[in-house]
Amino acid sequence: MIRFDAKRRAAAALFAAGLALAASPAFAQLKQRPFMVGGGEGGGGEGGGITGWLIEMQSQLTRLIAADVHALHSGPAAIWGLIGFGFAYGVFHAAGPGHGKAVIASYMMASDRALKRGIVLAFLAAALQGAVAVALVGVAVLIFNATAPQMNAAANWLALASCSGVIAIGLWLTVTKGRALLVALRARFAHRAALAATPVFTDAPWRPAAGSGAAVAFRAGSPDGAAVSTVDDPAACGHLHALDPTALEAGFSWRGAVATVLAAGSRPCSGAILVLVFALAQGLFAAGIAAVAAMSFGVALTTGALAFAAVFAKRLAMRMAGGDDSRVALAARGVEFLAALLVVAFGLALLLVAGSGA
Amino acid sequence: MNFATPVRRLVPALLFATTLAFVPVVAAAHPHVWVTVRSKIGFSPDGKVASVTHDWVFDEMYSSFATQGLAKPGELATRDLFAPLARQNAGGLAEIGYFTTLKIGGKTAEFGPVQDGDYWMEERPDHHVAFHVDLHLKTPTAPGQYFSLLVADPEYFIDYEYDDNDPITLVSAPPGCSASIARPKPLEGQDKAKLTESFFSGLAIGANFGFKMASRVIVACP
Repeated sequence: MIRFDAKRRAAAALFAAGLALAASPAFAQLKQRPFMVGGGEGGGGEGGGITGWLIEMQSQLTRLIAADVHALHSGPAAIWGLIGFGFAYGVFHAAGPGHGKAVIASYMMASDRALKRGIVLAFLAAALQGAVAVALVGVAVLIFNATAPQMNAAANWLALASCSGVIAIGLWLTVTKGRALLVALRARFAHRAALAATPVFTDAPWRPAAGSGAAVAFRAGSPDGAAVSTVDDPAACGHLHALDPTALEAGFSWRGAVATVLAAGSRPCSGAILVLVFALAQGLFAAGIAAVAAMSFGVALTTGALAFAAVFAKRLAMRMAGGDDSRVALAARGVEFLAALLVVAFGLALLLVAGSGA
Repeated sequence: MNFATPVRRLVPALLFATTLAFVPVVAAAHPHVWVTVRSKIGFSPDGKVASVTHDWVFDEMYSSFATQGLAKPGELATRDLFAPLARQNAGGLAEIGYFTTLKIGGKTAEFGPVQDGDYWMEERPDHHVAFHVDLHLKTPTAPGQYFSLLVADPEYFIDYEYDDNDPITLVSAPPGCSASIARPKPLEGQDKAKLTESFFSGLAIGANFGFKMASRVIVACP
């Protein structure tokens, strides 16, 4: 109980820190951008082969969606096109910076989530994102008859909350994973010391030389090893014993998962807001909701694929790291710590995108 | 036991994993707003470039968004109703140079502050929203042999495209001046290529996608 309270207090402190960061001048710029559409989604600016193609696809799909909303006036068949294009839009759109999939993937790397759970998180976050957009536009337009600047303000508050949440989760993970990394480092050193000192080998003629050699190599190598080690999923390797007490204690935390879904999914996407307002203006809100649901499903698929890739990479790295338990554990904790830092970086990046974009 | 080998093998896997994780952040956003541009370039009586007037027409999705909550059902949103949003947009535009790059003699012209009355927004009868703004050069400048005008959002949240039929008008231009549009596709002809080079090397601000995708107006004066 006491430990939980301390955790909760730490989480609250981190959330406050995230909020303070989020209130930075970068975010204040957000109001300055002309012709913006709320949701904190803006330009990345860099163009390239694949990126250019993604941009082109989404531009065309947006027009197709608009055309299908019009076509609905003359017949209900256009709804299938609307759903199809919405889905495709979501698949492509999830490759942009406006969505929480990077957060989900990194969170999974950092927190030993199983693949299935990661995919569930991806779908929940995408569904929440769609639902938030529908709720925002529905309430703002149908109940308050809000104007564009008012909708922008509401969407930007949600974006701010989302970024802050992501940063807070990242900081929390950084602290817990940093502690786990220290434990793993200590265990690794203890293990090496124990090996070198094992009496069984002391009278073997080759042992002293080999032992000290290995110890020297380890001492030279370990700082690097700790710094570069990646992703891993000890459980995935099957033969790894959980040496790290924090890994045992961690387990699957619904609180952490719910927080991640909320942080990654609470920001509505600008594209969804536009489709919904447009559909509403045409008197076809239900069609807009269907399109946004399809978009969310597409986003979830891309996010899920990314989660799959993250877990795959983690297992691959783990297999490559193979060796004795304390080293694998060290690699694992190092990777998790890096992934936790990545979550913080994502939160900040999203914040900057929100600040510089729209 | 050798610690180095697995670590060395670990590095590519680490890079692979982190690259995967970063891909979504690196990927750029795409336009959410499309604008059809018509511009007028005004000359002073002594033949200097004095003003740029933009008429921007927005796509129907953004138009729906911008008009939401403004007019009574069945009525068009007037300039009066749009005044607060127009002021907000004009203020934002002023901070980023109106998305307008006017280059004369290799120098980027500066625009003076925009006053109330220089800009407005309104809903047209076809329900598209239009934004109008008059930009006055701080110092009217002789056009030289040619100059260029570019309208683009470097971050490519807004996609500006020149109108197909009536993209550019020269007002009171010295006799013989003519305007043409250079689309972002590769230009034909060596002369055009040369022109492009001399004009646009200065405009190529890094890999800014919005600039890459933008059409440019080139005005040639004899």
